[in-house]
Amino acid sequence: MNALTKFLKDYSLIELLKGMRVTGGNLFAKKITVYYPEEKTPKSPRFRGLHALRRYPNGEERCIACKLCEAVCPALAITIDSTEREDGTRRTTRYDIDLFKCIYCGFCEEACPVDSIVLTDIHEFHFEEAGKHVIDKSHLLELGDQYEQQIAQARREDAPYR
Amino acid sequence: MAKIEIDGKSLEVDDGIMVIQAADQAGIYIPRFCYHEKLSVAANCRMCMVDIEKAPKALPACATPVTDGMVVRTHSERAVDAQKGTMEFLLINHPLDCPICDQGGECPLQDQALGYGADVSRFTEKKRVVEDKDIGPLIQTAMTRCIHCTRCVRFGQEIAGIMELGAVGRGEHMEIATYVGKTVDSELSGNMIDLCPVGALTSKPYRYSARVWELKSHSAISPHDCIGANMHIQTLRNVVKRVLPRDNEAVNQCWLADRDRFSYDSVNSEERLVSPLLKSTDHYEVTDWKVALDRVARELRKVISEHGADAVGGLISPTCSSEEHFLFQKLLRSLGCGNIDHRLKQRDFSDDPDAALYPGSQIPLEAVDSLESIFLVGSNVRKEQPLLGLRIRSANRVGANVYALNSLDYDFNFTLEEKSIVPPVEMPGALARVASVLASEQGVAIPASVSAWANTVALRPEFDMIARGLLKNPDKAGIVLGDSAALNPRASVLRGIANWIHENFGIGRIDLAQGNSAGAWLAGSVPHRGTRGGVAQVTGINALEMIESPRRAYVLYGIDADVDVIEGTRLTAALAGADFVVSLSAFKNDTMNKADVALPICPFTESSGTYVNLEGRAQLSNAAVPPLGEARPGWKVLRVLGNHLGVEGFDYIDIDDVRSELSFRDIEDAPLFQSHTIVEPDESDRVGSGTAFQRIVDVPPYRIDSYVRRAPSLQATNDNPIKPFVSMNPKQFSEFGLRNGITMNVVAEDGNGVTLEVRADARVPENCVYVPYGYIESIPLGGARQVAVEEV
Repeated sequence: MNALTKFLKDYSLIELLKGMRVTGGNLFAKKITVYYPEEKTPKSPRFRGLHALRRYPNGEERCIACKLCEAVCPALAITIDSTEREDGTRRTTRYDIDLFKCIYCGFCEEACPVDSIVLTDIHEFHFEEAGKHVIDKSHLLELGDQYEQQIAQARREDAPYR
Repeated sequence: MAKIEIDGKSLEVDDGIMVIQAADQAGIYIPRFCYHEKLSVAANCRMCMVDIEKAPKALPACATPVTDGMVVRTHSERAVDAQKGTMEFLLINHPLDCPICDQGGECPLQDQALGYGADVSRFTEKKRVVEDKDIGPLIQTAMTRCIHCTRCVRFGQEIAGIMELGAVGRGEHMEIATYVGKTVDSELSGNMIDLCPVGALTSKPYRYSARVWELKSHSAISPHDCIGANMHIQTLRNVVKRVLPRDNEAVNQCWLADRDRFSYDSVNSEERLVSPLLKSTDHYEVTDWKVALDRVARELRKVISEHGADAVGGLISPTCSSEEHFLFQKLLRSLGCGNIDHRLKQRDFSDDPDAALYPGSQIPLEAVDSLESIFLVGSNVRKEQPLLGLRIRSANRVGANVYALNSLDYDFNFTLEEKSIVPPVEMPGALARVASVLASEQGVAIPASVSAWANTVALRPEFDMIARGLLKNPDKAGIVLGDSAALNPRASVLRGIANWIHENFGIGRIDLAQGNSAGAWLAGSVPHRGTRGGVAQVTGINALEMIESPRRAYVLYGIDADVDVIEGTRLTAALAGADFVVSLSAFKNDTMNKADVALPICPFTESSGTYVNLEGRAQLSNAAVPPLGEARPGWKVLRVLGNHLGVEGFDYIDIDDVRSELSFRDIEDAPLFQSHTIVEPDESDRVGSGTAFQRIVDVPPYRIDSYVRRAPSLQATNDNPIKPFVSMNPKQFSEFGLRNGITMNVVAEDGNGVTLEVRADARVPENCVYVPYGYIESIPLGGARQVAVEEV
């Protein structure tokens, strides 16, 4: 019986036809190839890319220099110096992230009690000079200002699942 | 002994101790906020509730004495339920601002909330908010965080001796506050920061500058006083961030004086000297070490070959480490120069041959707590040596009688049984009077010199009282000679009489000195003695003589030559007239303007060194941070300078080599004090000589050395008048028609005068004025013993 089945399978080319069916199906199916960078795949609101420091709507920076992100960072990529600002609040004087050390784990965002440090969905960035991989506070705040809407939108979308 | 059982563990503990103490001894953890082993039991936080068998409900472990057969459970349902309940109440009003709170990470409330706190609060009513108070430049308050454990209040009442913080209001409205508008001025106030179990009291200079988990601790010794307080210097990325006490029951217990705690402010200041400087005509040029050291070696050699080694003078600060003192004197002595001194403010050197091995104490610090009578002679011990003051206070609390013979009626944190306030000129006479009462009580013959001194002052009833008090139990009595005694124009007589009292009546002696003076003496940093009290290779002249008969060259080490010495004006003139001056200092200072070469050395935070305290306890201090800029540890600079000068024996590889050459091994057994010849009084010692005011001096606690003078936080305290002043007895003040705040000319015998603000001060005896040392503005008065006060 087995020998007969094998004989029929071999000579009717049924295996080949099965394969061709997949090929044929894909040939006429909708294409998923994305023409990057013109086209991009959708990203999860939880995507972890370039960092940013956010502000409150009134323009006040959120960061209170609690240094929890620095403490939790497994790659020791964050360096913070803090001081008392003139108005008596606790603020950073330095907030550096070494993007070469960073492993984009997002722990800093998880640790932040004021939602200040966030990972945006920006994953395309480059440095043109040596040393520029360490981004400082002003740069991070700029990123925050520039992408605030995007950042806020992503947080809103993710909120029900947290 | 009582047999008890805690958590199934059978223990045998002393009767009458509290359950929490028994648990601590057995290493069983009971949560607590208000209980502290050095403070009285308040039992007001209710966190240490434990389940005790046969008790109807959970009891506070800190206020429940053990009884035989007691069975305690710290983790039973009833105990944990009580602890969790307490925690819920404590957290009702405590703000959730841990991320910005400086206590975060070392906060007992934070830790215990993790163990006993609930995830969510059931409290939906309004939380209370308490206004922050400004209680001075050292302590930052955030009173909403306060949980009313009253540790700070009890510290003030019991340890520091002045109740500056207290509880105002009741129940929900209870607040910890100072008396309206007052600041916390205790010299030990920083300890309240350590005691506070929450972030209500935190350090102001440290505020928001680091988090505790990122700090590195380095063990060190405080260089400011002769107690040798053990401390941790904590650093972040090689910057000193704060200083905390390191527990040592024998020395500082768990306390630290504010001076030790906050002086680190100076080492981060802008005033640090960070590169060797060479003077060229009118300005300084930054240079490198080789050029600078070559220049120093060349110039010193030149002065020595032209004028002899005696033309060089070496002045060193007593706050330097023993190794620095040792190499300093070794270097100068190798050059043939014996003019070495660290006693920069002393006026009377006549007892140098008879002097003790080092200024120290025969009574160990721990034994001070159990003294029964203590006699302070010329000492404001509370401010001069706060940690000794604290021990005297604790002796006083359990019944010791404290007597004082002072020129200023200092405000102590203990009660004086009897005091005698006499002008400085009468100090030796008054002490001699006490000695003669002691002698007549005990039937001991009194030396002629002591009776001659006794005759210089009239008999007062206090002297009898003091002497009788000391004789009650001479073995448990101590006589403390403080700063004003050492600054007295007749300091040698005071020391001599104190020694005579000690030898004849067995009353212990405690000599207080600034900084590491004991280490300086033992290292041989005095003109007449070598290392460990041995014979000096070369002897020379003392600090005052170096000022009075100017030298051709000066080596200044770690001092601000104007404010650190008694005759600042004359020394600066001598420096200006000298052929060559080299100043080794951690800071930029006015001395530099007179120096031809300024070399940057490391402060105590950047250099390892040994400090000897008044008991002769040699303690090692470690460098906490690497040297700033081009500054180098002092011992290295002296070592290389020795090489540049081509002298033998300067081939140390590390500081341990220096330390082993300067061994402190046998000092504990060496006799500390020896017999003393007492000079007879002369005309100048007669009371009432001259019509001018007797001048009383002391050095305010935050003006004593180059570190504290540059610590902004300490300088802003109320203990530190920003400007010097002249104060006078209120009675004479009004007789002369003076008003507080007006300025008067204060003129010394030599005609030098300064214009100072006048104040009425009830502490000052009649016919005296008080002008503190340690200020640029009062330098022209120098060491004047008498001054005239004239209208501007």
